Amino acid sequence: MTRPRDHDYLPILKRDLADGKVSRRSFLRTATLLGLSAASAYAFADKVTGVPSEAQAQDAKPKGGTLRISTTVYDVKSPAIASTTAHPLIYSQVVEYLTKTGADNVTRPHLLKSWEPSADLKTWTLHLRDDVKWHSGRSFVADDVVWNLTRLLSDDVGSSVLGLMEGYLLNSVDTGKVDDKGKKIIRHELWDPKAIEKVDDKTVRLNLKAPQLAVPEHLFHYPAVMLYPEEKGVFGPGAVGTGAFTLKELNVSRNAVLEAKPGYWGEGPYLDRIEFVDVGGNEQAIVNALISGQVDGAFQILPDFYPLLKDNAALQYYQVTTADTSVVRMNLKNKPFDDAKVRQAFRLAVDPVKANQITFGQFSTPAEHHHVSPIHPDYAKLPEPVRDVEKAKALLAEAGYKDGVDVELVIQQNPPHHLRNATALTEMWKEAGIRAAIKVVPNPQYWDVWMTAPLGMTVWAHRPLGVMNLALAYRSNAAWNESAFANPEFDKLLDEAEAIPDPKARSARMADIEALMQREGPIVQTYWRNLISFYDKKVVGFAMHPTYMVFCNELAIKS
Amino acid sequence: MDAGMIRFLLRRIGQFIITFLAASFLLFAVTEFSPGTVASKILGPYAVSSQVDLLTEKLHLGDPLLVRYLRWLGIVAGVVENPLGDPTIGLGLSDPRGNRYVGNFGYSLMLKEPVVDVVGERIGYTVLLTLLAILVIIPVSLAAGVAAGVNPGRPVDRILSMGAVILTSLPEFVVAVALLLVGVVWLGILPGTSPMTQGGRWPLSLQLVLPVGVLVIASASYVLRIVRASVADTMRKPYVRTALLKGLKRRDIILHHVLRNAMIPPITVILLQINWLLTGVVVVESIFAYPGVGSLLLQAALFGDIYLVQALTLLALIVAVGTQLIGDLCYLALDPKIKLG
Repeated sequence: MTRPRDHDYLPILKRDLADGKVSRRSFLRTATLLGLSAASAYAFADKVTGVPSEAQAQDAKPKGGTLRISTTVYDVKSPAIASTTAHPLIYSQVVEYLTKTGADNVTRPHLLKSWEPSADLKTWTLHLRDDVKWHSGRSFVADDVVWNLTRLLSDDVGSSVLGLMEGYLLNSVDTGKVDDKGKKIIRHELWDPKAIEKVDDKTVRLNLKAPQLAVPEHLFHYPAVMLYPEEKGVFGPGAVGTGAFTLKELNVSRNAVLEAKPGYWGEGPYLDRIEFVDVGGNEQAIVNALISGQVDGAFQILPDFYPLLKDNAALQYYQVTTADTSVVRMNLKNKPFDDAKVRQAFRLAVDPVKANQITFGQFSTPAEHHHVSPIHPDYAKLPEPVRDVEKAKALLAEAGYKDGVDVELVIQQNPPHHLRNATALTEMWKEAGIRAAIKVVPNPQYWDVWMTAPLGMTVWAHRPLGVMNLALAYRSNAAWNESAFANPEFDKLLDEAEAIPDPKARSARMADIEALMQREGPIVQTYWRNLISFYDKKVVGFAMHPTYMVFCNELAIKS
Repeated sequence: MDAGMIRFLLRRIGQFIITFLAASFLLFAVTEFSPGTVASKILGPYAVSSQVDLLTEKLHLGDPLLVRYLRWLGIVAGVVENPLGDPTIGLGLSDPRGNRYVGNFGYSLMLKEPVVDVVGERIGYTVLLTLLAILVIIPVSLAAGVAAGVNPGRPVDRILSMGAVILTSLPEFVVAVALLLVGVVWLGILPGTSPMTQGGRWPLSLQLVLPVGVLVIASASYVLRIVRASVADTMRKPYVRTALLKGLKRRDIILHHVLRNAMIPPITVILLQINWLLTGVVVVESIFAYPGVGSLLLQAALFGDIYLVQALTLLALIVAVGTQLIGDLCYLALDPKIKLG
């Protein structure tokens, strides 16, 4: 078999790294996205920058033992409709993803050997590893990938993968029917019958209707695990996977027990057994369990408990900077947010640094109202937003609100830091004549109105690339466009950014997008949060992941 | 069993059925105004509207409230099949008993398991916690309450009554945090949570110490005060004074005359405590991550898990009616003057 041809941009990227024009992180991200294997990308970066990768520096890990991790133990019968980042903690040890975004925010092939995008980023050829077998002994083949991806994109299954990929793999079809409430019934179908194409037993090709840079990242979206087709999408104890563990026992809301599966194709497993323990939704209970050694680590610890645990000699502190955030988003279908001047006034009236400090203190970094994080490789540095209350008042007056505005900010009951952030913002708004009443609602109620409330605060999980959040949340008619923001100039710039593999060129385009968001965008965004956790010092190989993933095959326990 | 007793029991069962129908319908109606639809709860917030609409259609969730309530009653009665278990819907929900059987309370939307199994597993832990707590509460509160009640105004009464007032005033979560601080953080001799799973370094018996301890402190001090008041009141009755004047021993008067007559109010309170312990121990179960029905009810209510909330409500009704019935029978045994009315 001939080696796939390198992407046209790879030689330029290598030269840029050598010349110091792109960072090591940007190089690793873009090189792997363009199909260079992670090992080759790291080797090249190590050679050029002189910094050895952590993977190479690691000592041999001890074998054996049971690891207990505290987390919510959800039902995982149907990974395709998983709706939280705690769901995959259990099933992703058994069934795996085609790609894997590491704790370093770099995406690498996983069940794939490599991927190969076309120069226009509209055709992605996925090469499957040759050595992967299902626990049943059958080889992992292209038919498995085609079955899984097609299933995930079906309306019937109800997976959030559909919302993520519909922009480049699906068409919306008006069935011509209406439901009881007179609403049009819309269905989705692949935009082309060959959109997901089997080339041979070990090769799948994705033919996209629009260029897309983040396909490998999307393949690591938490419901997108490869299930064993013979089991028809149902997961549970004894389910067949390709992973390093098998699920022995699952007691929803109590515990899940997994045992190592010999003959795993990848690293490890080093542990004999993992137990995920659910100590309920009470955050204090998680801390109590850690202190008394009932668990060896926690899915996450709220920063409020950091002072209680930081001096505990048995525990190791872990932290990761993420692009996890909450945005106050204004819905443009409602007055006064239909006016860009009002939206800008809402931003000008707040001091992001102060709001960030009040919300999270040392466990976060200030944001700049454009939903692109400094850790994103495509981030462009703009002048820091400065609070200007007088200008905010003037803009409100220009928009016809010289006496200010009265609005209601809807926030979820949890996480608790939403109320801190909302309080900080509403106090700052007051000075500019923005009188905002905070309405705290139970979480399920918020998800009922998150697409329609005039002013709301929504959690947005970490995503490895800046363009990913922008495409999901702010492109006209995007599935999760909660602000009804529809700006042709933004869409055009985003389309262009998504088609640029070069991080330098893309960040130049991102600078335009970020400026547009600060000028006309629908959000007030003041912080990026860090995720923190504590693990027993005997646990080896753990790194806090920006989306809470834990790769248990890489973990070991020191005796 | 005489005819009066049979009529009494039948009347109680009839009252129970009417209460259950009214309560379950009210819950259904209230849920109508609660956030989120059944379909959106199953699929989560990131499903697009076409996916939610499709599931709503498949599950007939657009039907009027009364139709859905009657369908739910039909499912409970085993007359109608539960559509959630239909394999063609692809939710992966399955019940080993099938989709049509008497007592089918459907599936928990939150846990995606048959409600009967979820409640069945949790109730066992709750009964265990209740039994252990009651086994300590009753002797401790009776002994201390009688000791205080027969010595009104004396130091023993003042110490016990004052201690009981202080402990009754402390909210459960304060007691729980105090015990955690001492037993877990300072002494390190007890586990911080009680998930009742084996295999760690803490045996199940030690996992029960803190939750039982908090319940005993919260409940025994209250029962003690009721026993003390009732005993002290009985001690002032003319027949006790007569017995004393007749020269009966104080010990015999207390054991044979005072206790029996003083027990009616405490029995009511103890039965109410059992009622609370079996269905309402939310704070203690949540703090200690104890897998009982109290914490389950809280989670289910916050999630809006209508089918699970319905089943737990029924359970609470059964426990309430059951303890009332036991109370009535106890009154009969203690005081023959009481008649079944």
